[in-house]
Amino acid sequence: MATLRILYETGDPEKTIEFDLDKAPFQHDGQPGSILDVMLGHGISLEHACGGNCACTTCHVIVKSGMANLSENEETEDDLLDRAPGLTPTSRLGCQAVFEKDGEVVIIVPRYTINQQVK
Amino acid sequence: MIRLLRVRMSTDSRQVSEATIERIVEHNPDTRSFFLCPRTDQRFNFVPGQFLSLQLPVDGKILTRPYSIASNPEDEEPLEICLNLVPGGQGSHYLFSLGVGDSVNFTGPWGTFTLDQAPAAEGIFLADGIGIVPIRPMIHRALMQNAQFSLRLLYSTDCEQDLLYRNDIEMWTRQYVQFSLEIFLRHPSERRPALQGSLLEYVEDRYVKRDEDRSRCFYICGVGAQVTQLRDLLRGAGYQRRAVLYEKW
Repeated sequence: MATLRILYETGDPEKTIEFDLDKAPFQHDGQPGSILDVMLGHGISLEHACGGNCACTTCHVIVKSGMANLSENEETEDDLLDRAPGLTPTSRLGCQAVFEKDGEVVIIVPRYTINQQVK
Repeated sequence: MIRLLRVRMSTDSRQVSEATIERIVEHNPDTRSFFLCPRTDQRFNFVPGQFLSLQLPVDGKILTRPYSIASNPEDEEPLEICLNLVPGGQGSHYLFSLGVGDSVNFTGPWGTFTLDQAPAAEGIFLADGIGIVPIRPMIHRALMQNAQFSLRLLYSTDCEQDLLYRNDIEMWTRQYVQFSLEIFLRHPSERRPALQGSLLEYVEDRYVKRDEDRSRCFYICGVGAQVTQLRDLLRGAGYQRRAVLYEKW
């Protein structure tokens, strides 16, 4: 079994999802089996303005532990993360970080996930 | 005048707004523009290149689908989005079923594939097919700012009827000495001379092999692997990572 533990920088109560990796994907947005896919498939929302197509940073999450259970970053994800507010060395896009192994992944959903630019 | 860009960290863009479809233009049987009038008294601000995130009710769920804004921030016209009918695409099929007077919900604007200031070097814009949609307002912004460096659009489509906004773009070639255009048609017609070969081959020949200038800025948009192939080609040839901007659909 895989476990996704979700902490919120806003102080909202944490949430935990336990799931069978073989049952992914759970819905249609984000890479199949990604953090976004798992969360949406279990009724937990995560901003994803581009529909999970790796074209924005609104699904930015910070991986607190369990990075080894996730797919590696690709260049497109890194290019976008460069523009995310509150970037950390363990930042990932929820739509691109795919569960590859059983085990626990703990993420923090940042307070700000918006990359909106206006005049 | 010094123009400042600020990044606003607010919840405004998350708020769902409603817009009415004021007009629909069919460019060809599979490509339409929808002109949206947001139901608000406030002016809708955005940066050229940004997109709207449409919230579409399909099969009892809300689909989130991004559509680049095809209009210019300065336009008094409604917001334009332009999209292809994607085979099996739930979002595009839903939108193509709508008519004038229907409503859509959206959030945004979103996205960082933008051009707010004219490039501080030669600017090369690479648009493949529907990828012209965010590129056109980006070039428009640079031209309106009297870009100091040359701007070149390399625009690739399958055939002549797929060329979007051609009147606007061809007019720019006559109005602005710093702007030039090259069209690539995968199936060229006799009426329109176009360059042969792929965009990738052309870019490799012209901007990688033929000179050693690596000061250019590139803006790439399109569907599929060609976008990242172009990115990898240019960065691998020595262009600065941050001078090769792209959006892949």
